[in-house]
Amino acid sequence: MCVDKVRFNSLLAPAFCLAFCCLTPAPARAQWLDYPTRGIPRNPDGKANLSAPAPKLPDGKPDLSGLWLGDQWSPAGRRPNPPGNARPSPPEMFPWAQKVFEERRASQIKDDPEARCMPQGVPKASTLPYPFELINASGKLVMLYEMYSLRREIFTDGRELPKEFISPSWMGYSVGKWEGDEFVVTTAGINDQVWNVDLAGHPHSDVLRVTERFRRVDFGHMDIQVTIDDPKTYTKPWIMPVMRYTFLPDTDLLEFVCEKNIDPQHMVGK
Amino acid sequence: MRLPLAGLLLFSAFATAPAFAHHSFAAEFDAKKPVELKGTLVELEWVNPHAWIHMEVKDESGKVTRWDCELGSPNLLMRSGWRRDSLKKGDVIIVNGSAAKDGSNLANAKTVKLADGTRVFNAGSSGDAGTPGAPVQ
Repeated sequence: MCVDKVRFNSLLAPAFCLAFCCLTPAPARAQWLDYPTRGIPRNPDGKANLSAPAPKLPDGKPDLSGLWLGDQWSPAGRRPNPPGNARPSPPEMFPWAQKVFEERRASQIKDDPEARCMPQGVPKASTLPYPFELINASGKLVMLYEMYSLRREIFTDGRELPKEFISPSWMGYSVGKWEGDEFVVTTAGINDQVWNVDLAGHPHSDVLRVTERFRRVDFGHMDIQVTIDDPKTYTKPWIMPVMRYTFLPDTDLLEFVCEKNIDPQHMVGK
Repeated sequence: MRLPLAGLLLFSAFATAPAFAHHSFAAEFDAKKPVELKGTLVELEWVNPHAWIHMEVKDESGKVTRWDCELGSPNLLMRSGWRRDSLKKGDVIIVNGSAAKDGSNLANAKTVKLADGTRVFNAGSSGDAGTPGAPVQ
């Protein structure tokens, strides 16, 4: 390092190093954007083998870790729905919810706090055009979302969800457990600043309970089946169209701080 | 600064509206108002949640107006090949997109190309700009 070769005073040295770094040509590889993922199955051409078997954890359960991007946002496009999982019927809402739903649709959801850089909540955050990463940790599965740099901790240490939430949060409170090869996550305690559970604009109440069933189909593919259970809003629990994800190799999550959204001042709705 | 000859074309052609675009698009932009802007780049503003192209456009009478064109986020742009220095101040560019509903000089960009045809970018926006992050080829 330059500090070893030249004896600066301690204040000037960092400035000199900074200037030096700025003048040094950037490496050809873009920072973090295309760094090879280690330890993944690859085809002879070096590309990730997305159809290899799903990896296992030491306890034999599927290993969900990795970067995942919703199929509809990937160049390869969305895989067809699995058999028996055609698009479900629209959920039946109670009158207050139907009114809110229609009002928000009529204004193109322009006043959604999300448009002012607020978090999208669960499960909507998982439906957006950015990857998320799943990381195994002791007693929890950590879910990092690239969009707005959000995160969830899904506790697997056997705890139950609280009966009451003294501080409902944007991304809620989550616990997870295995049912066969499916990781079943239950989330509640989502605050009322999260307007919608999906991009279509379906509302929720304080008793919303979201169940996400994660299933890693093979190395490169994962499905999440979401059930919305909110007896103040919907006449019965309803199932969303299955959310399908593809493993995103050779890249990393990038920071995304929602710093300056000028859109709301121009949103006129209809 | 001398501005190159630039044209502003506003079409009222019929276009298919997206089934249900992301709210920030549908509440703000009109997919039925395609716009093509040719002008000079003032700044590529590299901010979240949307990067912006600020440009100056000269119409047939010689009047210069400032336009702001929304792109996707820097991350989506980077993943589709953009870099923050992909465009430089003074570059003559052509932006195709959708005009704002409120009538301001604002557009949601679908594609951006250098006027000399050397490079074309997918604007990567989360509106109806197609598949975010997908390179244009």
